[in-house]
Amino acid sequence: MEQRTNSPYPRLDKPVLAIVGLVLVVGAVLFTINDREHEWRYYQYQFRRVVAEKLGAEKARTVPSGLQQIWVPSLGHADRCVTCHQAVAWKGFEAAEEPFRTHPAEPLKGHPIEKFGCSSCHGGQGWAVDVGPAHGPVEHWEEPLLGTQLGTEYSLVDNKAALMQMNCNTCHRYDRETKGAEMINLAKQIVNARGCRACHVINSRGGTIGPDLTFVGDKAPEQYEYGRLSGQRTAFAWHVAHLKDPRALVTDTVMPNFNLTTKEAQAVAMLILSWRKSPVPAAMVPGTPRTDPQTAGERAAEEAMKIGPGAWFVKTGCFVCHSIAALGVKSPAQIGPDLSTAVDDVQSRFGRTVDDFLASPTGTMSVVLSRQIILTPAEKTIAVQKLREAFAEYQRQKAAGKTPAVSSH
Amino acid sequence: MAQTTTSPGVPRQTATAPGVHPRPFWSVRPQTDRQSGDAIVSNFLLHWFPAKTYKPSMDWTYSFWLGTTSAALLLLLTLSGGPLLFLYVPSVERAYASIKDIEFAVTFGSWIRSVHRMAAHLMVAAVFLHLIRVFLTGAYKNGVGQGQRREWNWVIGVAMFLLTLLLSFTGYLLPWDQLAYWAVTVGTNIASSIPVIGPTVRELLLGGRAIDQPTLIRFYVLHVIVLPGALGGLFLYHMWRVRKDGGLAKADAVALLGDRIETTPVKTKTYTLLGVARGTAPAVRTSTIEAPDLTVNSVPDLTRRIAIVVLGTIAVLSLLAVYARSPLEEAANALVTPNPAKAPWYFLWLQEIVTDTTIRIGSFTINGAFIGGVVLPGLLVTLLTLWPWIDKSPLAAAGVWLPRTRRAQNAAFLAIVAIVIVFTLIGTFCRGPYWNFYWPWQAWPEIPTRL
Amino acid sequence: MSEHAVDRRDFIFRVGTGAGIAAIAYQASASLRSLVPNVSYDAPTTVKLGPVAEFPDGLKFLPDERLFVFREGNTFHAISAVCTHLGCTARAEALSSPETQQVGGKALRLTHRFQCPCHGSKYNGDGSNVSGPAPKPLAWYHLSLASDDGQLVADLAREVEHDFRLTV
Repeated sequence: MEQRTNSPYPRLDKPVLAIVGLVLVVGAVLFTINDREHEWRYYQYQFRRVVAEKLGAEKARTVPSGLQQIWVPSLGHADRCVTCHQAVAWKGFEAAEEPFRTHPAEPLKGHPIEKFGCSSCHGGQGWAVDVGPAHGPVEHWEEPLLGTQLGTEYSLVDNKAALMQMNCNTCHRYDRETKGAEMINLAKQIVNARGCRACHVINSRGGTIGPDLTFVGDKAPEQYEYGRLSGQRTAFAWHVAHLKDPRALVTDTVMPNFNLTTKEAQAVAMLILSWRKSPVPAAMVPGTPRTDPQTAGERAAEEAMKIGPGAWFVKTGCFVCHSIAALGVKSPAQIGPDLSTAVDDVQSRFGRTVDDFLASPTGTMSVVLSRQIILTPAEKTIAVQKLREAFAEYQRQKAAGKTPAVSSH
Repeated sequence: MAQTTTSPGVPRQTATAPGVHPRPFWSVRPQTDRQSGDAIVSNFLLHWFPAKTYKPSMDWTYSFWLGTTSAALLLLLTLSGGPLLFLYVPSVERAYASIKDIEFAVTFGSWIRSVHRMAAHLMVAAVFLHLIRVFLTGAYKNGVGQGQRREWNWVIGVAMFLLTLLLSFTGYLLPWDQLAYWAVTVGTNIASSIPVIGPTVRELLLGGRAIDQPTLIRFYVLHVIVLPGALGGLFLYHMWRVRKDGGLAKADAVALLGDRIETTPVKTKTYTLLGVARGTAPAVRTSTIEAPDLTVNSVPDLTRRIAIVVLGTIAVLSLLAVYARSPLEEAANALVTPNPAKAPWYFLWLQEIVTDTTIRIGSFTINGAFIGGVVLPGLLVTLLTLWPWIDKSPLAAAGVWLPRTRRAQNAAFLAIVAIVIVFTLIGTFCRGPYWNFYWPWQAWPEIPTRL
Repeated sequence: MSEHAVDRRDFIFRVGTGAGIAAIAYQASASLRSLVPNVSYDAPTTVKLGPVAEFPDGLKFLPDERLFVFREGNTFHAISAVCTHLGCTARAEALSSPETQQVGGKALRLTHRFQCPCHGSKYNGDGSNVSGPAPKPLAWYHLSLASDDGQLVADLAREVEHDFRLTV
C-alpha cells in the first residue's frame, strides 16, 4: 500500500495549533471570570450575612439572589438599584450604612416604588449593575445620582442631599409648595417675590424681554457660554454663577443683579434645571385634572341642596335617583319619580301607604333598599316623616299658585 | 470537529462500492495519499480545496492568510450575531434599552457584543489588507492556466469590500445612541449630495426625510438579511473562482519559473464535463502539478493551517473582547449634535477630505460632500475595479511581492493607501471639538455637562 | 528524533487541540446562556386593584390582571379568569336567577358563571369546572388591603381555598 507523501508542515503547525487551542481555553476562562465579577455578588453575600446576624438564618434565606429590577413600564425605567440596595423594603435597617439601609417610609407613601422606580427621583443609571456606572457621574450618562456626593462637589449650602429635589419638581412643577423640597420651595418663592416673570415666560406666562424659561432645563449644556466661568463647566454651575452676578458671565445682559445669597442662587438654579419636558404619565403629575370640572353655578346649587330643607335626602343618597322638587333637591340622574308627591303617588301606584311600602318594598326599591341604601327602622320612620313634610310643602306651594315642576313617572 | 482514526498502517477492510464512502466522517489523519484525496472528494465543505496544494501557496508570508482571516471573522460575526438577533429589539423606543440590557443584564451579553463589534472592525481592516496584498502581488493577473478569470474575482473582491463597509455602517445605527444617530446623519447626507438623484437616494435609505423608525428597520433588515446574504453568496463564488483559477497566483508563478520537465500538456485538472469537452477549464501542465516535492496533501496540511487561522482568529477575538469594551453613548437625540460628531473610523478619511473639498468658483459652490464623499471615492472604486485591465505588466509579475515590473503602479497604489491611512489616523486621533486639530497628547477642552 | 519525542509531541498536540475544541464548544454554549433572561420584565404578582369604593356590588372584571373581583356587601373574593385548560380568558355571564350556595363551608351568592371562548370549558360561579376540557377549577387569589392607602391588593402568586373572604 502506498504511504502518504512526507510533508514538512506538521512539525511546526501541530504545536502552533495546540497553542491556539490553549489560547482559546485562556480566552474562555478570562471572559467567564470577567462576566462573573460584579460588586453586587459581594453586596448580596454581605446583606445575607447581615440579615442572618440580625434576623436569623431563616430570614436570610428569603433574601433574593441574582439581578433584581423594578420595571416601570409607564416610564420605561428598569431600575436595578435593588440588586445591591436590598434592604430598601426591609424593616429594621433604618440606621444601617448604605447599601443596606431601609428606605425612609414617608416619601414612599405617595410614591410607591413599583410605580415610580428609583431613578425617577434619585437620578443615576438604573440599567447599570456596577457601582460606578450606576451612580455616576460617568461618561455618556447625563443623569448622575443626585446624592450627597454630587451636592458636596457643588458645595451646596446646608443640605448636601438637596439636588434630588430637582427631580421632585419634574412632576411637582405646578405646585406652589412641595413637602420635603425646601430648596425648590425657596426658589419658587424667590421667582415670585423677585418677579422673574416680568422678563421671562415661565409656564406660558410672563414677559418677553428675557428668554422663555419654561423648558430651559433641556437646553444642551454646551449651548451656554462658559468663557467667563471659572471652575466646573456644567449647566448647573453656570446658572449659579449667572444668578449671583449675571453681568460677570454675559457682559451685555440686561438682567439685573438680584444679590442672591449662594443658597438662593443654588436653589433657583435647581429650579431652573428642573424645568424640563418630561414624558411623565399625566396621572403622576399633581394638579392634572382627572375630573370634569363643575361650573361655579353647579357647585353652588349642590351646596345649597346639602344644607337646604331636602338635606336628609341628599345625605342618605335618595337624590341620586329621585328629585324632591318641593324641597329644592334636583337629582343628577332623575331616573325615579319625584318624591315630593310620594305620599300620594305610592298610594295610587301600589295601593299601599308609604310606611307600608318602605317597610317591605317591591321592585327596584327592594333591591336598592336591601343593598345600596340600607335603612334601620328608625331611619325609615324619619324617611316617612320627611316624605310627608315634602308632600305638605308641595301642597303649600301648589296652593300658593306656583306649581313645582314635578315630573311624574 | 469529528475525527476518525484507523488502526495504524492497516487500511480498514470494508467493501467499497463505487461512490460509497466507507467512513462515517472524512479523515483528518489520512494514512495514504489516496485517503487524503478521498477526504476532499467525499466532503462537501472541503470540495473547494484541491487534493494537493502547492507548498509555496502555503507560505505564511506570501498571503499572510488575510483572506482566510476575513472569512474567519465573517464566520465569527455570524455566530456572535445569532444571540444578538434574539436580544436586540429594532424599535426606536426599545433599541437603546435593549442594548443597555445586553451590556448590563445579559450573561456574557457585553462580551458577545464586543466580539461582534471588534470582529466587525477587524474585518474591515482584514479585508482592506487582503485587497492591498492582492494588489501588491498582482494576484488578479492570469497565469498559465487555461480559462483563468482572476480579474473577475478581483472585481468580486472589491464588491465584497464595499459590502463589508456597508454591513459595518448599517450595524452602526442599531444601538440608537448619539454615535449611531449622527454617524448615519453624516453618512446619508453624503449620499444626498449626489446631483439630481441624491435626495431621492437618501429618502429611500431613510424611509423618509429624517432618521426615525423607518430608517432603523431598513438598516436592520439590510444588516441582518440583505447584506450578509449578498456577502455570503459572493464569498462562496469568490472561493469557487479561486479554485477554478487554479489556486493562488503564486502557484502560477511557480509553474512559470519552476524547473519543470517539459511534457505534453495534459488536462489533468478539469472541473466540469463541459470543460473537458471544450477545453476551456484551467489545466496546468502535468509535469508541475504532479511534482511531489512541490505539493502537499490538502488534508491534513492545508486544513490544519486553516484550523490554525480560524481558531486563532476566534481565540484572539475572544480575548480582545474581554478588554475592549463596546461604547454606548447617550440615547439618540435629534436636538443635540455631539461635538465632535465622527463617522465610523473607516470613513474618517472621507470625513477628513469632505472637510476640505468644498469648492467655490465665484458664486458657484460645490458641496465638499459631493467631491470628497461621492466623486473621489467613486473614482477610486472605479479605478480599483478596472485596474486588472489597465495593468499591462508581464505575466511573471503575478504572484510575486513588489516585482520590479510593477514598481510604478505599486508605488502609486501605496501612496493612495498611505494617504487614506494618514487621513484616517488624523480623523481618529487628531480631531477634537469643532473638528479642530489636536495632537493625541493634547487634552481636548472639557465638554460641559448638565450636572 | 527518538520515539519518545514523537510521542510527547503528539500528546501535546492532542491535548492542545482537544482543549481548543472543548473551549469552542464552551464558548458556543456560553453564547446561548445569554438567551436565559436574568431580569424579569413581567408585571409584579402583587397588584393594587384600586380603592374599595370603586368596586360595585357583584362582579368587576379587571382585564389587566385577568381577574374577577366579587363584592357582596363588605366581603370580597377574587377568582382568576385564566382558563385552567390552556390559559384563554374565560368570560363571565350573568345568571338570570342568582342563587346562594355553600362554597367552602360559607354561603356565597352566585351571580355568574364562566365560559371559555377557546374550547368551551364551563365553570360555575364559584369557579368549579362543570363541563368541557378544563381539568380543574379556576384559581382563587388572596386579597388584602394595602397598609398605606387602603386599596384592595391581590396576590396573584398566592392561591387560596374557596372559603377565603376578605371582609372590609
